[in-house]
Amino acid sequence: MPRPSTPDLELYERGVLVKLAGVDAGYGPATVLMAVDFEARAGEVSLINGPAAAGKTTLTHLLRLALHPRSGRAVILGVDAAHASETLQAKVKRRIGYVAENPTFIEHWSAFDNISMPLRLAGRKPSQYERDVRELVDFVGLTDAANLPVEQLSGAERRRAAIARALANKPHLILADDPTANMSPADGRRVVRLLAEMRRVGTGVVIASQDESLPEVAPMARWRIEHGRVTQIDHAAPEEEAIE
Amino acid sequence: MKNALAGMERSLFWTLAFAVFAAVAAGLAARAVDRLAVSYEAQRSGYAIARIVAPEGQEALSTAQTALNAAPGVSSAAPMTAGRAAALLREWGGGEVQAAELPELRLVEIELEPSAGDDAAGDLVAALAQSGVTAEVLQAPDNAAGGGLSDRLKRLAAWGAAAFALVMALIVSLAARSLAARRREMVTVLCDLGATQGQVAGQVGQEAALLGFYAGLVGAALAGAVAISILLLAIPNARIETLPSMILPLDFVPLAAAPFASALAATLGARGGASSIHAKAARLG
Repeated sequence: MPRPSTPDLELYERGVLVKLAGVDAGYGPATVLMAVDFEARAGEVSLINGPAAAGKTTLTHLLRLALHPRSGRAVILGVDAAHASETLQAKVKRRIGYVAENPTFIEHWSAFDNISMPLRLAGRKPSQYERDVRELVDFVGLTDAANLPVEQLSGAERRRAAIARALANKPHLILADDPTANMSPADGRRVVRLLAEMRRVGTGVVIASQDESLPEVAPMARWRIEHGRVTQIDHAAPEEEAIE
Repeated sequence: MKNALAGMERSLFWTLAFAVFAAVAAGLAARAVDRLAVSYEAQRSGYAIARIVAPEGQEALSTAQTALNAAPGVSSAAPMTAGRAAALLREWGGGEVQAAELPELRLVEIELEPSAGDDAAGDLVAALAQSGVTAEVLQAPDNAAGGGLSDRLKRLAAWGAAAFALVMALIVSLAARSLAARRREMVTVLCDLGATQGQVAGQVGQEAALLGFYAGLVGAALAGAVAISILLLAIPNARIETLPSMILPLDFVPLAAAPFASALAATLGARGGASSIHAKAARLG
């Protein structure tokens, strides 16, 4: 496996999980993101606010290595996204927990089996992960629905299952694309609070959302995205100022 | 594998089983053609009848028998008895023939070795002439005219069955590719979670291998059952007990190979399909 170049690795070791510099990205002939500069750090929650069709989902695709930059430089977890081999990209993806706006599951499998899939993919045996996954299931509030097939879960339960799956492998970076969409305000806040909790163990959390009220839930570095351009509004408030 | 034979996969299973059935049936048919051709060739090329023209008398028949038994390419030779001639006439003509009604026969039946030359009739006449016996050969193989036909038929049947089996393998492979399409949801999820193309292809390929193997077993078993039924119906006096002596080990090759070939074809098809879906899911731009 090729080693990341030294400057990228140093950046990562200094706690910079994501560093985008002048990145353009898009699909086919359409350019969605233009000259994006963005940074996310370990132990911080970064909130990217913006209206619909501003490029939030495209940005999360870029951060989870599903989309490559057309120009500029994207360093994710110490790896240059544009030049990493397929194996290295897969390795980086396994260290990213992704919560999609419409999470996909193996619908006929139970929530428990879906949540434990990243651990199985990492080669761990059920006896090694069963207890951890049960704790995770309790943590996200899915205890009663854990053994139900995912196709029988409600929208909010699916979102919680997606969060549990994203957390299962103790990721370094969590990406959540509109995690409060189609949820009641109470459920939405609970979901964001769950995600934000992960900053306490040093995980970086990036949330892309239309909801402007999320900073009330936890301290966040705030970014704004409009027409594919990203600007920083403010840095994360120190932990003691956090609104719990 | 989880859910391997449930729901939608049942139709895929029977598609694979039918393709294997057809391929195995073609293989068994090719073996039957081979066996018939070998048997026909042995009968056709291994037998001759000579009529002794001169000198007359029983002594000439004995001289001819001795000469023929010493001739190269001859396995055995014996004068044809009236009883044997009557039996042959009955067999060829279909009507009742009495041995006592037959005139004196001056015929010698000759069993030839497989190494007998192309002009077996000429060789027999020459061998008899050397012993002072004039004879004409009434029936003998003519390899120059018809020889090799059965060989061509055997080759045609073998190549035909092989080509058909290849087409069936392609059908199995393409059908198994649809398994990957049915697993698109799983492939996409695994891809999002950081599974490599090899891991995803392995996961779907494993399921397809199992499906292909079981479908191959069922298809081969059905083809074997049909083949045995045909043998019992088509061959007079054939019974279940006599089948083991009629079947050669080589005849089992299509049956034994089918599950493994089916598993291989299914695995390749499913792996290809899964890799293609993974590639699309991994790179959105």
